[in-house]
Amino acid sequence: MIFLTVGTQFPFDRFVRAVDNIFDQGLIDEEIFAQIGETSYKPRNFESVVSLEKKVFDERFKGASSVISHAGVGTIMVALKNHKPLLVMPRMKRYKEHVNDHQIATAKKFEELGHILAVYDVKDLPNGIRKLKDFIPRKRKASPDAIADKIRRFLNSLQD
Amino acid sequence: MALSKKNMKICLAVSAGGHLTELLKLADSWQQYEVFYVSTANMVAEKLQQYGTTHVVGECNREHLLRVFLVLFRCVRVIIRERPNVIISTGAAVGCIMCFLGKLSGAKVVWIDTIANVEWISLSGRMVRHIADLFLVQWPEIAEQYSNVEYVGTVI
Repeated sequence: MIFLTVGTQFPFDRFVRAVDNIFDQGLIDEEIFAQIGETSYKPRNFESVVSLEKKVFDERFKGASSVISHAGVGTIMVALKNHKPLLVMPRMKRYKEHVNDHQIATAKKFEELGHILAVYDVKDLPNGIRKLKDFIPRKRKASPDAIADKIRRFLNSLQD
Repeated sequence: MALSKKNMKICLAVSAGGHLTELLKLADSWQQYEVFYVSTANMVAEKLQQYGTTHVVGECNREHLLRVFLVLFRCVRVIIRERPNVIISTGAAVGCIMCFLGKLSGAKVVWIDTIANVEWISLSGRMVRHIADLFLVQWPEIAEQYSNVEYVGTVI
């Protein structure tokens, strides 16, 4: 099962419709389950829900063979944590999919680092989905403790 | 009154989604303090409730100015009720609003710019930078471009 998720803040019709069309062309041989948020387009070829509770979302994520999504950092984080192959397509301001185009830069950066796959146009989606099957994401070394430590020391410094 | 672990109250202001996921990775740093949350969606409130009082002020962004005012009004109410000593945020708009209101009421401001911004600081972050007491970014290249901005690591 492929898990498709686009967050909940803005619609992403362009993306959900494209995946649905690719399904029509017979290029996807796996089932898809989708969380589509405010997207008004309703896919014909797979089950979709508006939003999922965190717990259910995590279960779906963990159970999926791979994930396709917008280039949201929340999704990228969960994918890296669970070591899931992730294909993203950035939301774009010009289609009113976000307030700016930062998702393009996010996608490029994490793609360059080998952590995710990315496509920047719906016409490249079929190829991206094909590649996703064999994609092994590079593990990422994060350092949340270093940030937490910095904040902790700052908070301590406020006390007499 | 001097601040101590007992009487210091921290406000964690954050939009639902990636911003929240990033913030929660840093939870170790405020474990010893009384905290409350300000967020944008009821869905995440259910989860946050277990960590501390949670105020849901609604979603807002620069595209919908009327909503910004509504959220602003709710945020003012939260500040008056809770009187936090520190605001910590990873963004976005709601974090920015709470940082400014907090600063006005005498609170210290900690901002961690989201890792989603790989080229420059987010719009909210660029505004908060001028009033922040601690400002962290998650890409070393970004830290080099600004003054009073530090890079110490990344949440992912």
